[in-house]
Amino acid sequence: MNNLQRKLLRDLAASKGLFLAVSAIIFLGVAFFGASFMAFQNLKASYDYSYERLHFADFTVKVAEAPQETVNKLEAISGVKAVTGRMNADIPLKLPGGSVKTLLARAISLPSTSHPAVNDVKVEAGSYFREELENSLLVEKSFAEHHKLKPGDTVSLTVDSQEVSFRVAGIVTSPEYIFAAKSRQELLVSPETFGVVFVPQSVVASLMGKPVINEFCVTIDDGADRAGIINQVEEILTPYGVIDVVSSDEQPSNAALELDLQEFGEMAEVFPFLFLIIGALATYILLTRIVHNQRAQIGVMRAVGYSRRQVLIHYLSFALIIGIVGSITGTVAGYLLSETMTTLYITILKLPFTLMETHWMAMEEGIFIGIVPCLIAGILPAYAASRIHPAEAMRTPPPTGGRRLLLERLFPFLTRLSSLWKMPLRNIFRNRRRSLSIIIGVAFGTSLILVSAAFIDSVEAILGLQFDQIQRYDAQITFAQPQPTTLTTKVQEWSEVTEAQPVLKIPSRLEHEGNTYSTLTVGILSDSELYGLYSMSGEQTKVTGDGIMLGEALQETLDIDTGDVVTLHTASGLNQLKVAGFIKQPMGSLGYVTLNQAQKLAGDEDIISGLMLSVNPQHIDDIRGKAFQMPVVASVELTAESRAIVSDLFDLIDTMMWIMLGFGAALALAIVLTMVTVSILERRREIATMRTMGYSKGKLAAMLTIENLFLGLVGLILGIPLGYGLALYFFSLFQTDMISFDLVIFTHTYVLTAGLIILIVLISQVPGIRHLNRLELARVIKEQVS
Amino acid sequence: MAAKGNIQINLSQVSKTYPMGMVKVEALKGVSLEIKEGEFLVIMGPSGSGKTTLLNLVGGIDSATSGSISVDDTDITTMDERELTNYRRNHIGFVFQFFNLIPTLTAKENVEFATELVKEPRDTMAVLEEVGLKERAAHYPSELSGGEQQRVAIARALAKDPPILLCDEPTGELDFETGKHILNMLRMANEKNRKTVLLVTHNTAIGEIAHRVVRLRSGEIIEVKQNERPIDPQELKW
Repeated sequence: MNNLQRKLLRDLAASKGLFLAVSAIIFLGVAFFGASFMAFQNLKASYDYSYERLHFADFTVKVAEAPQETVNKLEAISGVKAVTGRMNADIPLKLPGGSVKTLLARAISLPSTSHPAVNDVKVEAGSYFREELENSLLVEKSFAEHHKLKPGDTVSLTVDSQEVSFRVAGIVTSPEYIFAAKSRQELLVSPETFGVVFVPQSVVASLMGKPVINEFCVTIDDGADRAGIINQVEEILTPYGVIDVVSSDEQPSNAALELDLQEFGEMAEVFPFLFLIIGALATYILLTRIVHNQRAQIGVMRAVGYSRRQVLIHYLSFALIIGIVGSITGTVAGYLLSETMTTLYITILKLPFTLMETHWMAMEEGIFIGIVPCLIAGILPAYAASRIHPAEAMRTPPPTGGRRLLLERLFPFLTRLSSLWKMPLRNIFRNRRRSLSIIIGVAFGTSLILVSAAFIDSVEAILGLQFDQIQRYDAQITFAQPQPTTLTTKVQEWSEVTEAQPVLKIPSRLEHEGNTYSTLTVGILSDSELYGLYSMSGEQTKVTGDGIMLGEALQETLDIDTGDVVTLHTASGLNQLKVAGFIKQPMGSLGYVTLNQAQKLAGDEDIISGLMLSVNPQHIDDIRGKAFQMPVVASVELTAESRAIVSDLFDLIDTMMWIMLGFGAALALAIVLTMVTVSILERRREIATMRTMGYSKGKLAAMLTIENLFLGLVGLILGIPLGYGLALYFFSLFQTDMISFDLVIFTHTYVLTAGLIILIVLISQVPGIRHLNRLELARVIKEQVS
Repeated sequence: MAAKGNIQINLSQVSKTYPMGMVKVEALKGVSLEIKEGEFLVIMGPSGSGKTTLLNLVGGIDSATSGSISVDDTDITTMDERELTNYRRNHIGFVFQFFNLIPTLTAKENVEFATELVKEPRDTMAVLEEVGLKERAAHYPSELSGGEQQRVAIARALAKDPPILLCDEPTGELDFETGKHILNMLRMANEKNRKTVLLVTHNTAIGEIAHRVVRLRSGEIIEVKQNERPIDPQELKW
């Protein structure tokens, strides 16, 4: 090691606090990048591998009913790799145990003796169907775990009003239910009300009297023309009544996972980018200070015979070391954190296969993106150092220009302020670079804290909107088959029920100018008190019988506006309805009409598909049992349960956001600490002079506090709109038909953020002020360069 | 006793103007001066007379606004940056008023900091021994007295073994006895090692140890005085 390198290391050690603070910013940025990017890679690889191993369908076609031989016809289409024909129906399922527990199960048929060629399942416990086991079924893992079902248990399914017992042969994971969504409209469903089971085709055939297929799952060859193949498949299946074609992109579980991946991907890009900009800014400030302080040393170096290039490389090395330390430690932390994040994630999702790899490429990228901003930030001060004229470097620099501020000219009373106020005010404008850097640091820190807080607030708001304002009922009964409206009166008479209101949900495909969307059209009473509808501006609205109200995301999906006409394809035919308006809908995208309209759509029958109930609070636990006493009841959803399941899922997002908030606060502290400390240390000579003149430590500390708080407040004022804009950008990514986030930031969040930032500014001053309090006045005053 | 060598440094009509904050300072106005190899030259004058500027120009750390400076028959005013760096490396040893040691390096490392740049430096410890600091080699500047720091600075200048030593107020920060000690060292470097020494000072007494004394005022040479019998630094009084 030569003495120039030795000097570098000792200089770094001499300002280790600042050096570590700046490295910490790079560390945070790189760790954030590494964690989110590697978790993203782990999840993507796990999904892809699961899909590949279990032959996830490229698309699925639902039909009314088709014969078995159709499978062969579809397989003959060029480009089709494999086809599985199956029965898929939502039917009531009774769980074992003392209390009768019934819910809606999605029963999917699978080949009795061999695994399907498309949409296979992975057996996690027990076994696949076995011939010796009559009437066996497989249970999807999340559902099995929730109800503690294990191989050997017995459940019963109601097929054609006939209750059939099944023995659980195995617990399985499925590529279609990694995220156990019922549909795109009902993405977050409680396993209390919905689950997936797989039954042998032979059993379905014997129960129905013939083999029944109402769904075809198709995989295609790599590079094959998917749209062309779908057209051919639809053509072949037209005689069997095509209901819906769902491509893998639209498949609910996959679409939800894609949304998550997108979130990870964005997080992996945008947040580290912000951190690294701040890291670069801090590096620039720190290095500028080092160069400023070492002016005389640079002069000596040049006088002794060091070349400009050597000086440039020497000072650039400070930035390089900050980058290397921050990015290597950040990459290691990112790697460890990515494993934690992935594990946290897969405990919620039921992934058939998990791949956790070491992503060398991501690590290299992490190190690269950590070092490059530091080098870029370091170039200017290092170049400036190399250009310092040695003779000038050894002269005391002239004082920075002092003059009366424009502000003082405009407001003459400011000149009459005491020095306690006047000096901080002048200092702010005297060194604009220094002031600006504190303002930028505080603004960025504020924005990061605010974005994280916005997510936490919005999740709380979404729960409130969905479960307090929209879904006001305590329980919702869904019937296995449509029932007469008169049933409402009967249920209304139950002592447990204070209010019962009918609902009719009709599966429908909405179409507008070539855009289609499969959803449910929901008929409710115009004056429904148990289901609230809210216009986009947030006011309560209602269905009037004049047209259809659509969930907000459908405006874009269908490219439709209020007053336009939408075509509804339902089981009973085509109908055209005017769009009456759009409503806020955080989860799912449905259409809303009056009950009468819905009944007309259903073929003019006086029927309902379910009931929304307001229940006496003391009877809430009994209502499910009471409802299941009616044989027609398929499932009972309790709002409190749904809220809990959604809340549990959001807990993950919440946890991540709290982590991010911690990162944001740490970042704000690191940047403000760096800036404020540099700002204070740059003035040590001036402050020492003031001390010798008789200014007390307390008064000087007060002056610095006033100055820093003022700059902090300006940064805060700028940081709030910056954070709001950033949050708006992030939220725009999550506006889909499945989930739609409104940006909500509560007033108390602004207050807390401001409080936190002010606290950070105050804490950040401590090291600098302590240093000043310990100054050896005589020595500092004599220093040639402050 | 006058120096007998060849002309080593030749300044011809050298002027220097530089900005200082919002004002322009005319530091040197058409100065011409010849300095012989092995000469001990003291430059004196009040503050702002241009002494340090003259030294800096000869040292190649500042550039003349007009005129020429040649050292060993090479015009340094036409040198590019790389040539100037090499010139400073191989020809010049600086000693500053404020010592200007690197605070994070020990005495020995400070000397090596300079010797690492040249092909055939002198032995660091030998030079430190010469300035009486062998025992203090591992000490940092903050652990040394002012006189010791200046001796390290002299060692740093000598260790590169340059033909010219430029000393800017080397005793300005030192007490009388220490100052004399430092001057003695410079005198030894001049006599024993045949170094040409240019020493800038306010202190008129120091002129008595030089071969020649140049007086500057307001950027101009107002007097050049030859010392027929330079005295020994130990005999100095001020």
